[in-house]
Amino acid sequence: MAPSKKKHANNKACVIPGGFTVLSLQFSASSAAQHKLYVKEHKVRAEKSSHRPLDRTLFVLNVPPYCAEHVVKRLFSQFGDVQSVELRDHPGSSKHLGPKLSRFFRPADKQGFKVGYIVFESPSSIAAAKSHPLSEPLVVSTEEHPVTTGVQKWIQQYTDSFVQPDHLQKIVDTFMEVHDKRKEEEAERQKREAELQQEDEEGWVKVTRGNKGTKARPHSEAANQKTLQKELRKKKRKELMNFYTWQHRNTQKEHIAELRKKFEEDKQRIALLRAQRKFRPY
Amino acid sequence: HQLVTWIDRVSGSTGIGKEADKEYEAPIKAKRSKPEDAGGDELVYHPVKLSRSDLYRPPTAEELNQLKEAESLFHCSLLKMQMEELLKEVVLSERRKGQIDLFIHTVTKLLQTFSNSQEVEISDLSWLSGAVQVPFIMVPKTTKGKFHMAPPASVDLIGSYPLGTCTKPHVMVDLAVTIPADILHPKDALNQRYARKRALYLAGLAEHLISSSDIGTMHYSCLHGNRLRPVLLLRPPGKESSNFTVRVHACPPPGFFKPSRFHPQRNNIRTEWYTGLQTSQSESTEPPTPHYNSSILGDLLPRAHLQFLSAVSSQCPAFTDGVALLKVWLRQRELDQGTGCFNGFLASMLMAYLLTTHRISNTMTAYQLLRNSLNFLASTDLTVNGISLSKDSDSTPSLSEFHSAFQVVFVDPSGHLNMCADMTACTYKQLQHEASVSMQFWDNPTVDGFHSLLMTPKTMIRTSDHVFQLCELVKLQSSCKKLNLLSELMDYSGNYVHTALPYILSLLQQGLGQRIHLLTHSLPPDPEWSVESEAPKYKDQPPLSFGLLLRPELAVSVLERGPSADSPKAAEFRQLWGSRSELRRFQDGAITEAVLWDGEKICQKRLVPRQIITHLLLLHADIPESCVRYVGAIVDDVIKMERKVPSTGEEEGLLVVQSFDDLSRKLWKLEGLPLSITSVQGAHPALRYTQVFPPLPLKLDYSFFDRDKISRSLMPKEGKPCPAYITPITVICHMEGSGKWPHDPLAIRHIRARHKYACRPCSTHLDVWKDGLLFRIQVAYHREPQVLRESVSLGGLQVVRDNEEAQALEMATIHKPLLTSTLHGIQQQHTCFGAVCRLAKRWLGAQLFSSDITEDTADLLVASLFLQPAPFTPPGSPQVGFLRFLHLLSSFDWRNSPLIVNLNNQLSVADYTEIKNDFMASRESLPVMFIATPKDKKISVWTKRAPSVQMLQRVVMVAAESLKVLEHQLMDSSQIQDVRVVFRPPLDVYDVLIHLNHKQVPLLNQAVDPPAVTFSRGILTDKSGASSGGALPVVDYNPVSLYLTELREAFGDLALFFCDPYGGTVITVLWKPKAFTPMPFKASARSVEVTGEVVNTLPNVEAILEDFKIIGNGLVKSVEVRSERWSI
Repeated sequence: MAPSKKKHANNKACVIPGGFTVLSLQFSASSAAQHKLYVKEHKVRAEKSSHRPLDRTLFVLNVPPYCAEHVVKRLFSQFGDVQSVELRDHPGSSKHLGPKLSRFFRPADKQGFKVGYIVFESPSSIAAAKSHPLSEPLVVSTEEHPVTTGVQKWIQQYTDSFVQPDHLQKIVDTFMEVHDKRKEEEAERQKREAELQQEDEEGWVKVTRGNKGTKARPHSEAANQKTLQKELRKKKRKELMNFYTWQHRNTQKEHIAELRKKFEEDKQRIALLRAQRKFRPY
Repeated sequence: HQLVTWIDRVSGSTGIGKEADKEYEAPIKAKRSKPEDAGGDELVYHPVKLSRSDLYRPPTAEELNQLKEAESLFHCSLLKMQMEELLKEVVLSERRKGQIDLFIHTVTKLLQTFSNSQEVEISDLSWLSGAVQVPFIMVPKTTKGKFHMAPPASVDLIGSYPLGTCTKPHVMVDLAVTIPADILHPKDALNQRYARKRALYLAGLAEHLISSSDIGTMHYSCLHGNRLRPVLLLRPPGKESSNFTVRVHACPPPGFFKPSRFHPQRNNIRTEWYTGLQTSQSESTEPPTPHYNSSILGDLLPRAHLQFLSAVSSQCPAFTDGVALLKVWLRQRELDQGTGCFNGFLASMLMAYLLTTHRISNTMTAYQLLRNSLNFLASTDLTVNGISLSKDSDSTPSLSEFHSAFQVVFVDPSGHLNMCADMTACTYKQLQHEASVSMQFWDNPTVDGFHSLLMTPKTMIRTSDHVFQLCELVKLQSSCKKLNLLSELMDYSGNYVHTALPYILSLLQQGLGQRIHLLTHSLPPDPEWSVESEAPKYKDQPPLSFGLLLRPELAVSVLERGPSADSPKAAEFRQLWGSRSELRRFQDGAITEAVLWDGEKICQKRLVPRQIITHLLLLHADIPESCVRYVGAIVDDVIKMERKVPSTGEEEGLLVVQSFDDLSRKLWKLEGLPLSITSVQGAHPALRYTQVFPPLPLKLDYSFFDRDKISRSLMPKEGKPCPAYITPITVICHMEGSGKWPHDPLAIRHIRARHKYACRPCSTHLDVWKDGLLFRIQVAYHREPQVLRESVSLGGLQVVRDNEEAQALEMATIHKPLLTSTLHGIQQQHTCFGAVCRLAKRWLGAQLFSSDITEDTADLLVASLFLQPAPFTPPGSPQVGFLRFLHLLSSFDWRNSPLIVNLNNQLSVADYTEIKNDFMASRESLPVMFIATPKDKKISVWTKRAPSVQMLQRVVMVAAESLKVLEHQLMDSSQIQDVRVVFRPPLDVYDVLIHLNHKQVPLLNQAVDPPAVTFSRGILTDKSGASSGGALPVVDYNPVSLYLTELREAFGDLALFFCDPYGGTVITVLWKPKAFTPMPFKASARSVEVTGEVVNTLPNVEAILEDFKIIGNGLVKSVEVRSERWSI
């Protein structure tokens, strides 16, 4: 698998169609094989996120699983000071994170290859990164900053998984406090809205667009279906079965049709089995 | 060597790579497999749509009748059609009949052109040219009488072919050649003279035919293993040779001997002649020779029988079809061939009996004939109440006379011949048992009757719970002596195997008594040998196999309690058991004779029948233990645990459950909880006895670990071997519903965490270290999955949408505990359920299928074997259960039918139909392996994620191959027994092997072939008693599974990773073929290479291989690249 970028001069950056610059990355200085990172300035029309300023954010593809955020930060600080690093499974807008969770309650991260959004302090760093030559690989684990993997890492993980009960209790309590407060606010807001829709002294009701949740009785899909079924049942009860001669005749006809259908189905099933030679006893 | 060839076969036929290839690449391979693939696609079932006019057109009378019949006679018209299809498969085609007629014609012609020869003494064989041998064992040598060859008086077809009941496979056409009367003498019936002349005549025929080019191969055989009745087998030349066989019988002219000579109480072999000793016995005191008599009678009557059967058949149009079905039924149960079998002839005769006695009417269909015959067999005991087809009973022997001479009695139309003369009582009991089992499941609409009845082969090894073989049959000679069976030996003309067999069977039956339901034995196959070689000796027969159907609750009892010491039966008891019988005093004060067998653990107790059998055989029949090859529990070895007393884990499992019960009691008693506990349920295989290696109570060596002071827990130490793996046993603890629970998924999660109170809490669970076992308690709130599903749509409408998170939670907190308690119930009913599950899972693990067929799925599959055993009975030993598990995996039609596991018998017939219809309607969107249970009729939650089509295909193939190899190993005494062969996976189909450092594999000693080197893993073994309390051990820390998770997360889109969870030291990697097709550059692509101006991506294999090492630093020993597939 010879890299096809040999035609580029050794000390020049390698740019491929699509606007990506290829950087190479190896685990340690002694590694034989290299991963390729693909970097590009972050350019998205729709997104106006303060997290990823357009001029200072570098988009990186293919970050190996052993490069945690702090490792990426260290690797890229050679191009200039890094403000923040965000690693994601898939590219996309930064997701809404809901209430901030303690590390014990966050769902575990996937350990796969990731995409990264690196925000530099200054826009010039992006150019520096993009002109980094392919032949000089970034090194993940160095003597000063070793990166642990394998057994060492798992032992570390195991040790980290412990939590003090009182600490846990505290986390839970603070979360619940926030939660309760939010709920209260919500209730408050709903109450205010409800008040707005009350008749005023002169008998006027102010009709607004939008969420009418509070006014109508709380409705759900399940409730809707229940009422529908009730109606159907009512209808069915009123129906007369086999009362008129034509009804009786119809039932018989239906019965024969049913038998016929079953017969036909069975025939097909048999044909299918026969085609598979399922009737050879030995 | 065995292993290598097996692997070759498996990989040759079943490479998963190849299957995957079909879809994506490798045109050469694809070409080969295309036809079947394409065929498979066409065969998809599409529900029929009849047009309205078709459905509602007025019915014709004929159609109405047909529909009515289908509705009333059969459960559904399906069964009727299935039977019709089956008959089409077994009935001879017209083309085949033409071939047979032509060949018969040539043979008949050849037989007529025959010249007379000189008259010589019987013992003078000089007239034979030497090219052929006489198919007879001439013992004793001397015989009086003259013999010469002459053309046959007539050549006629007899038996099933002219009757029309001849079926495939093994088409046998019987041809009777009448020996001319001048060769025979009316007194020839005495002292085997007739039998020898008959053999000589056949040899003469063989010599005459051997030069002819119209005949392919010629063999001798003997009718139903009876050496007095040799037959000549002729096969057509060339390609047709395997199509059919013509069996030439030599018969005396009709009426040549007087039938009354062969009364079962008459003697026709003189002791003086047979033993060569002078005795003073007169003819009246000579012992009767009923079997000898019946074998000569059998030659006299075939034409009469044919006439009788033809007359019956011509009156009942469905007769031939009915007999054909019964023959298929018998054949699937291995009852239709060999000595003392219930052959097709008997099947016809039985049906004729039922017709002539008006138990069934002439107008019945084949289906009804079969049903009534089975019903008759199930309800009639021919060993006590024989039946007779004979009309007049004056001149013929009475039934009681027959009963005194034979074990099973079914008298032919002439009234002289017992057609079941050779059958042992055990064979008939087996027949009866099979018939009654068949009747049971036939009536059960939830069972696929057709399949169980006529399509499933019931081999002995898969039917009987325990099987043993008598290997050196020559030892039976001394048994005959020991049992004092000289006159019987004479009656059987020296066939000591048949002579001793009934006695051995009754001995074993007596000894095993209440422990078994049924004792069966294999029917010795008819020997077949070339005309140029001598008749084989009796001892050359393949070993005799015996099968035991155990009563699980009684079979394992170590005590045989006999009559009290002073009762008259005590002597009998002592006589049976010999020196093993001793007087014992019991707790109830009684002093009785008793035999105590050895056995401490369940796995030893399971082999008590073996102790009994070897003891009895040695004591009474002089058969040494070395001749008895007992294959009851050979496979169990693979789940044996390394203990001082070997054990297959039942006791350990019990210990876990007891400890759990204690824990749950304590949980219930807890006071001062904010919410009360509503249920404590186990959700772990160990709590239903199905964990392959149940967790053992452990005592820790604290110096081996690092210690975390604050949380009082032990930590694994770097540089030391990985500590012993401690399985967390999951327990789900439901809390009561209350208004206090918040209505928000995140908040629920936090509140749940608040309820963890002691030991070692963590955000998701609570670990309790008790009795050297670790329980992991998870708190559950029953409304949480529901809350997860709810969301508010834009319009403010509250909708319920299923999502993965909710499903996973439901699985963990609702389905799993329920399954655990249900399966626990099955274990209570069937004691070997757990062991079967564990064997099955051990096999799945060893073959690297654990991640595809999960533990729960495997347990459900095994449960189905116990809940719906038809056509078998529920497995009574782990081994037979395991064999049936492999058979289920490999033979079930996963594509076209759902596997319905009727847990707790909750499903009704209507549910079955509903499940099947739903399944058919949406087959394509359902999992490939569909398992329905009462709580899960439509989704198959357990198999939703895995296996995939390709993996299931591979599982099916490997299972079939394993089954074949294993059964062969178990039944073939000449093989070196290494059942572990089927537990060693073929590795050559995989692309990369990652070898692991043994030091870091914590479950190393559970491997199929545990390595000699062991590592200290921080466990104290010397002291008994497990530790409770103290510092918490290292829990659920298994570097191998952590590594696998990381690998799958990082490279799951490129490759599949397999590993044996029970001490596997190798991780096998298979590249997904799709991963190597160049793909356009997308932002989500990972390890990629870019070529030229067109940006394509390919996996960066070199870097990936290095990543394997980096991610598993310390665990990985080496990475071995086995194929170059990726370098395309």
